[in-house]
Amino acid sequence: MSNDVTENPGATEVTDVAVAPPLSQRARSFAFAAIPYAVAVLAAFVVVGIIITALGHDPTEAFRAVLTNSFRNQTGFVQTLHKWAPLTLLSLAFAIPLGAGRFNIGGEGQMILGTVGAAAVGITMSELPMVILLPLVILVGILAGAVWAAISAWLMESFKINEILSTVLLNFVSFEVLDYVASVVWSDPGAGGAVTLPVGEGAVLPGIGRPPMHTGVLIVVLVSVVAAVMAKRSVAGFELRAVGLNERASRLHGIRTGRVAVTSMVVAGALAGLAGAIEVAGVHQRTLEGVQSNFLLLGIIIGLIARGSLTAVPFVAFGIAVLEVGAGSMQRVSGAPVEIVLILEGLILLFLLMSDVATERFRRARASRAAKGALA
Amino acid sequence: MTEFLTLTITAMVPFLFVAQGTMLSGRAGIFNVAQEGLMLLGAAVGYLVSLKMGGNVVGLIVAALAGAVVGFILSWATTSLRLDQFVVGLALFFLAGGTASLLYRIVIGDDEPPRIKPLPDLVLGQDAMVFVAIGLSVFLWWWLYRTDAGMRLRSVGENPKAADSLGINVARTRMWAGTVGAALMAVGGAYLPMVFSGVYADGIVAGRGWLAIALAFFGGWRPQFILAGAAFFAAMDVLAQRAQVSGIGIPHQFVSMLPYLATLLVMVFALRWALVPQFLGKNYDRESRIVG
Repeated sequence: MSNDVTENPGATEVTDVAVAPPLSQRARSFAFAAIPYAVAVLAAFVVVGIIITALGHDPTEAFRAVLTNSFRNQTGFVQTLHKWAPLTLLSLAFAIPLGAGRFNIGGEGQMILGTVGAAAVGITMSELPMVILLPLVILVGILAGAVWAAISAWLMESFKINEILSTVLLNFVSFEVLDYVASVVWSDPGAGGAVTLPVGEGAVLPGIGRPPMHTGVLIVVLVSVVAAVMAKRSVAGFELRAVGLNERASRLHGIRTGRVAVTSMVVAGALAGLAGAIEVAGVHQRTLEGVQSNFLLLGIIIGLIARGSLTAVPFVAFGIAVLEVGAGSMQRVSGAPVEIVLILEGLILLFLLMSDVATERFRRARASRAAKGALA
Repeated sequence: MTEFLTLTITAMVPFLFVAQGTMLSGRAGIFNVAQEGLMLLGAAVGYLVSLKMGGNVVGLIVAALAGAVVGFILSWATTSLRLDQFVVGLALFFLAGGTASLLYRIVIGDDEPPRIKPLPDLVLGQDAMVFVAIGLSVFLWWWLYRTDAGMRLRSVGENPKAADSLGINVARTRMWAGTVGAALMAVGGAYLPMVFSGVYADGIVAGRGWLAIALAFFGGWRPQFILAGAAFFAAMDVLAQRAQVSGIGIPHQFVSMLPYLATLLVMVFALRWALVPQFLGKNYDRESRIVG
């Protein structure tokens, strides 16, 4: 269905590809892009502030709690970074296929398979030394995620099966795979519930600082820089956007559109798998039911708020991580319920869409005024 | 065996409402992906209204109205403003889900939630909504394939340009199909606390909304096959629960996988069956010279 959707949110910024415009023009276009964001975020905070007031709590206190919790001490900051890492990866896993006009809703399943692959290696080969085991754990996690996404990509290319459908269905299959692995194959009998045995010591990502931040965060920083540069400066990134903008035209110009779309899905799966491997090696030291948390949904929100721009994703992800980590503290301090944060995130997205419409109307009105002026 | 059938029929009802709602919107070209949020909203509203204002019937009606509001926003934003259906749908999913938890938190707080009265049995140990759901499926089949209005709706989802040229009001058709479809989804959500749990919980929907989308594809976007598909999905669901409790030789995880794998297989092998409305998920621009 998404092959020729004309208003593709992931393909909004192809204009600055061919020739770099002069600096003043770039600054102005940046401002044009920034204004809707500012308006949307502000409007969302205002509406949520009204809701909080109506519930009988103090909105300034609530907002202060939700926004400062990540920066008040080391623990909060490390917590935020640990949340930021999988959020960024899952959001990239959504945004990259979005660039080619494909919707990958399977980040969750791909991540779960990543945790299963990583845990399988970490448990069965737990005796290996760290120099071998840790890279192996990460690599198998990436591979497992990529293979899981490749199934959907194959169904999409060979049988024209809607990728939204296949990725969602494979998410549900992955829950059962995880349940089987965690409660039958490598079940930890002492844990109670679907939890696997811990991985070997060599499979644990080393931590830095106090409280320790796992080094997976650094991997994610590296990955997001590479992704952003690739999207802007590489042939693959150009082809990706070209396919998303106009698949037919791209095909006529010799881009192998099917291969671009499939590759984007597989790369997405690899990134989600990496997120799974990092969760196993950095956070839980095992895999367990619910390991995927709500990262998929937040990843989609982040990808959409970033409008598919891979450069913007890590920054938006950081903002959302701050909100998510602050939600609990907000409830403790001000009494405003945590659900407020989900509403806030949804409203930011909705208002961003609305401000797009407004900007478009404004631009059109100005253009028609200019046209009338030229006639007169 | 009778118990198995009874359980299956009960488990089928929420799937039916949500999948038929998805189908109805989809046949007019609106691909709603907010099911999960709409069901949560329906469950929360249905539960709270039944509890505070007495009566499941009122609860179901108010839940349907709440769903209709969300559906109207989706239809308006995608038809009049021509925003991306998928993006708006997801935004509304988050908003509806957040609103559901919030409403529950405001009214009940952290206390032990009181249980609402379950829907009373009508005949054969089945409640009235079972018959409403099956009747709705039959009605939708008749309406879509045996009436003029139904054919007009289908034509909007297949080729809106042609429909428009024949004087069908494409925008209005999409608006009300999207609105009614979302109302049905919320009713499907409201059924959950009234029959299964007696209370609302944030995890009450547990992926049924996404499954309903799969069901719409599984049934080829046709009400009669969605009815059959819902029975199959529900039977597998009940079977998996049974396997978990008493064991039937195969691990219950593999039984649970069956509906998902079956849907994919149907899509792969039954290409003629797996019809999808041609204009599903797209927005119609009257002024555009390019169709699609």
